Amino acid sequence: MTVKRVDQGQHYRPRMAFLKKIEALLMEMQNPDTGIKTHTQRVMITNIPHAITGSDVLQWIVQHLKIVEEEALNLGNLMVKYGYIYPLQEPKNLILKTDSSLYRFQTPYFWPTQQWAADDTDYAIYLAKKNIKRKGILEEYEKEHYNLLNKKINYKWDFVIMQAKEQYRTGKERKKADRYALDCQEKAYWLVHRTPPGMQDILDYGLDRVTDPNENKKKTIDVYRREIMYYQQVIMKSTVKSSVSLGGLVKYSEQFLSNDPIMSGCLPSNPWITDDSEFWELNAKLVEIPTRMRVERWAFNFNELMRDPKGRQNFQLFLKKEFSGENLGFWEACEDLKYGDQSKVKEKAEEIYKLFLAPGARRWINIDGTTMGITVKGLKHPHRYVLDAAQTHIYMLMKKDSYGRYLKSPIYKEMLAKAIVPQETVKKSSGFPFARRHLRCSPSPVILRQQEEEAKAKEAATNVDITQLCQFTAPVPHLAVYTGTSVPSPPSTPRPSCHIPNSPPSQSPGHITLPNSTVCPSPISVALDSTPCLERKWEASGSNSNHFPSITESTEISTDSESGTCNSQVPGNVEAKVPPKSRTTSSFSRFLKRGCLTSPVFATLSPKCPAVTHGKVQPLDDLEQQLQQKSKKVTNFFQIKVDIPLESRIYPIDSEEEEEDCPRACKDSAKEVICPWENFTEQGKTG
Amino acid sequence: MVKEECKALLDALSKVAACYRHMVLTIGGTSDSQNLREELKKTRQKAQELAVANRNKLTAVLKDKTVSKEDKAEFERLWVIFSTCMEILEIDMRRALELGQEFPLNVPKKHLIQTGMSGGTSGVAARAMSVQNMKYEAEHNIDVVDLKDLENEINQVGEMMYEMEMKVNVPQWTVEAKQDPGAELKSTISVGASSIGMISVEENKSFCDISKVLAGIIFSAVLIIAIVLAVCVVKLS
Repeated sequence: MTVKRVDQGQHYRPRMAFLKKIEALLMEMQNPDTGIKTHTQRVMITNIPHAITGSDVLQWIVQHLKIVEEEALNLGNLMVKYGYIYPLQEPKNLILKTDSSLYRFQTPYFWPTQQWAADDTDYAIYLAKKNIKRKGILEEYEKEHYNLLNKKINYKWDFVIMQAKEQYRTGKERKKADRYALDCQEKAYWLVHRTPPGMQDILDYGLDRVTDPNENKKKTIDVYRREIMYYQQVIMKSTVKSSVSLGGLVKYSEQFLSNDPIMSGCLPSNPWITDDSEFWELNAKLVEIPTRMRVERWAFNFNELMRDPKGRQNFQLFLKKEFSGENLGFWEACEDLKYGDQSKVKEKAEEIYKLFLAPGARRWINIDGTTMGITVKGLKHPHRYVLDAAQTHIYMLMKKDSYGRYLKSPIYKEMLAKAIVPQETVKKSSGFPFARRHLRCSPSPVILRQQEEEAKAKEAATNVDITQLCQFTAPVPHLAVYTGTSVPSPPSTPRPSCHIPNSPPSQSPGHITLPNSTVCPSPISVALDSTPCLERKWEASGSNSNHFPSITESTEISTDSESGTCNSQVPGNVEAKVPPKSRTTSSFSRFLKRGCLTSPVFATLSPKCPAVTHGKVQPLDDLEQQLQQKSKKVTNFFQIKVDIPLESRIYPIDSEEEEEDCPRACKDSAKEVICPWENFTEQGKTG
Repeated sequence: MVKEECKALLDALSKVAACYRHMVLTIGGTSDSQNLREELKKTRQKAQELAVANRNKLTAVLKDKTVSKEDKAEFERLWVIFSTCMEILEIDMRRALELGQEFPLNVPKKHLIQTGMSGGTSGVAARAMSVQNMKYEAEHNIDVVDLKDLENEINQVGEMMYEMEMKVNVPQWTVEAKQDPGAELKSTISVGASSIGMISVEENKSFCDISKVLAGIIFSAVLIIAIVLAVCVVKLS
C-alpha cells in the first residue's frame, strides 16, 4: 500500500483547463450530422471503422469555429499532440497532416486528465504486455524504461507480470478488429505520455504545485482573512500604467534604433558577414579614438555614459578638472566590490572605506550624513552590497550635477570632434575559395585583464583628488598639503596614500583585518593621529603612537577629517626620525586626541587650503601649548561638511590599549598616511 | 495450503481487475452500451467480494505469529500484490465514475466517441464473472442509477484500503519480486493468433529463414554430388 503523503511540498499537478475545452470540441466532432465524416480503415483483411482524414478535421475546425486555416491547423496539431486524435499510418508523427492521411479518435479512458497522471505501474504493465506480444522486441527507450521500472517498482513487479498476463488473456475475448484498435489506442496513449526521445513532451508542465486545484476548500474565517490580506497587498502594489511603460519602450526604441547593428547595420561592416573584424577593433573597450556613434550615445542618458568604459574614462578626465574625480572613482570601486571575488569583499570594502569614506580620507566623497551613517554601520559586517546606498547617492549626484556640465564641456566636445566615422567596407569578393585567410588573434583575455589592472593601479597611484584643499590657494610645494597631484613634487616621492590598490599584495597581509580587530587600529585612528600638530610631533619624535584608538571616544568626526588631510603631507624636507616609543608620546597623543576632538564640527563646504606652514618642525615641548592654538586653527583648515551625528560609529574599533601594541605607524619619511598594519612589515624590514 | 488458497484468491482478483480495466476502456466509445454499464456493475461487485475475501485471509495469516519466516515473507509479498491490485481497482473505479458522468447513454445530444470499436465486451464480462454467458437484467437507465452506487463503492474501497494500511504493517519496499524482468516472455501464452498479420511495420524478420535456406542449399548440393557419384559409378562399371 502506498503511504499517503503528508502534504508539505509540491505534489499537485496544475490546473489544465485546456483539456476540458478540447474535449468539448471533440464531442462536437462526433455529431453524426454536423460532425466529421468517417471512413473505414482497411488493415489486411479486416475493416476498422471510424477513421477520419486530416483534411476533414481541418475543414471541420475552420467551419465550426470560423477561424483562419492557420489557426485551425495549430489547433488540430494540438489535438493530435495531446493524444485526442491519433494518426494511423505514422503513429509517431503527431501532427495533423492536411492530406488524406487517416486519424482516429482516442477512447475517453486514454484522454489526458489533470487528476491522474500516467502511472508508472500502468506503463510497466503495458511494456510487459508488449513484451509478451512481440516476444521481447521492444524499442531501445522502452527497454531502458523497462529496466528502470524494474528497479524502481521492484516490489510491485510480480503484480505487474501477473496483471500483464491477465490483461493479455482477457484481450483475447474481444473481436479481432477491436483488439487491433485497442492496441493502436494504447500505443498512441503511451506515445503521448511517455514520449520517445526526440519527441516533445507536450504535457510537460514544469514543477508540481503546492495547492491542489481539485480541492474544495471550506471557506473558514481563516481562509477569508488570508484572502483579504492578499488583496490588500495587491492593491498596495505600485503599478505603472501601460501607457507610460509602452511610451518608454517606444522612446527607447526610437532613440536607439540607429545604434542597433541589426536594425540599422553597422559600420564599417558586420564582421560575421564580411569576415572583417575592424568593427570590433574600432569599438574596443578602451580604444584611443572611439567611433562617432559611440560618443553620441553617451549623450543619450547617464547610464549609457557609465556603461561604456571609454565614456567613463572621458568623464573622469572631465571630473578631474572639476575636482570631483573621486566620485567616479568611488563608483567604480563599488562596482568592483559588487562584482568581484567573494573572498576579497571584506578587504575591498575596507580599502574603499579608507580611500573614500573615512574622514580625512585621501579621496573623500561627499555624501550626506544619513547615508554615511548607514554605510559605516553596514561596514561592520561587510558584504557585496554594503556600499549600495552610498553608491546610489554618488551616482545620482554625478547624474544630476556633473553629467549636464560634462555634455557641454570642451572635453566631450573634443571627443566628439575627434570621433571617427568608419568607412563602409566593400565585401571582398573571395576569388579563390581556398585562399588562406589571414586570421588575426585578438589578445588573450588574461593578458588584457592584467593590462587593465596595471593601468588601474597606475591610475590609482597617480590619482589624488583635490577635494578638500588647495582648490583656491596656490599649492605650497614643500607642504604638499594633502595633495599629491597639484603639487609639482617629484613623482618619485611616494604619494601620500593610504596604500590602496597600489600596494603589492605582499605588503598587505595584515590588511585583511576585521573592523573589530584589536591588532590594527582603524584608519580613523590613523587619521585622527595624523593631525597636523601631531605630525609635527612625529617628525620630531617620529613616534608611532598615533593611535588614538579613538573612535570610541570620538564624537566629532569632523576633526578626524581634518586630521586626515594632514596625512598627505609630503614634506620632502622633513625627515622623521624614528623615535623610541615613549609613554609620554602615548599619553600626549591621547591628550592631543582629546584636544582635537573638542573642536567644533564644521559645516562649511568650501575647502580652504591652510596657508599655515605646518611643515615646520616644532619641538616637542612646545607642542602642548601649540596644540591648543593649533587645534583651533587646524580645524579651520579643513572645512569639510560633515554632519554626521555624534553617535554614529564610524569604524567600529578599538580601545586605547591598542596603542601600545600597534606598530609604529610613522614611516620614516612621514610621507604617507600610513595604515599601521602596513608599516608593520616595513618596520620589520627596517628593524 | 493457506498459501495456495491465498494465491488462488489473488489470481482471481487479478483476473477480475484486468477485465474491469478492459471494460472501463470501452466507456464513452462506440461499443458503449447499457450492457456495458451493467457488466461494469457486476464486475465491480465481484471484485469487491474477492477483495474482502483476500483481505480477510491475508490479514489472518499476517497476524498469525506462528508463521515461519519464509512463509511470512511470502505472505508479505502476496500482501503487496494485493494492495497494488486494490489501488489499480480504485483508480479504475474513479475513472469509471468520471467517464460515466461524462457519457450518459440516453441523452441524444451527447454522442459517443467514434473509437473504432464495434464489438461488445460480453466475453470479457463472462470471463470476469466466470460464467459462460452473461445475462442482462438491468433497467434502461442503469448508467445513471449506477453512478451513485459507484460513488459509494469507491468510498468503501478507499476506507478498506485505509484500514488495511493501518492494521497491517508491511513496508512495501522490503518485498522483492520473485520474477525477473522478462519473466513474462517465458510464459506459455500463445502469441500467434493475436496479431492480425503485421500490426506494426517494425517487426523484425527472424534469421531462421536465412539459416533454413542455407541448410536447404547445402542439402541439395550434397544430394547432387551423391547423384553424380552414383552415375559415375554406374558408368564406369
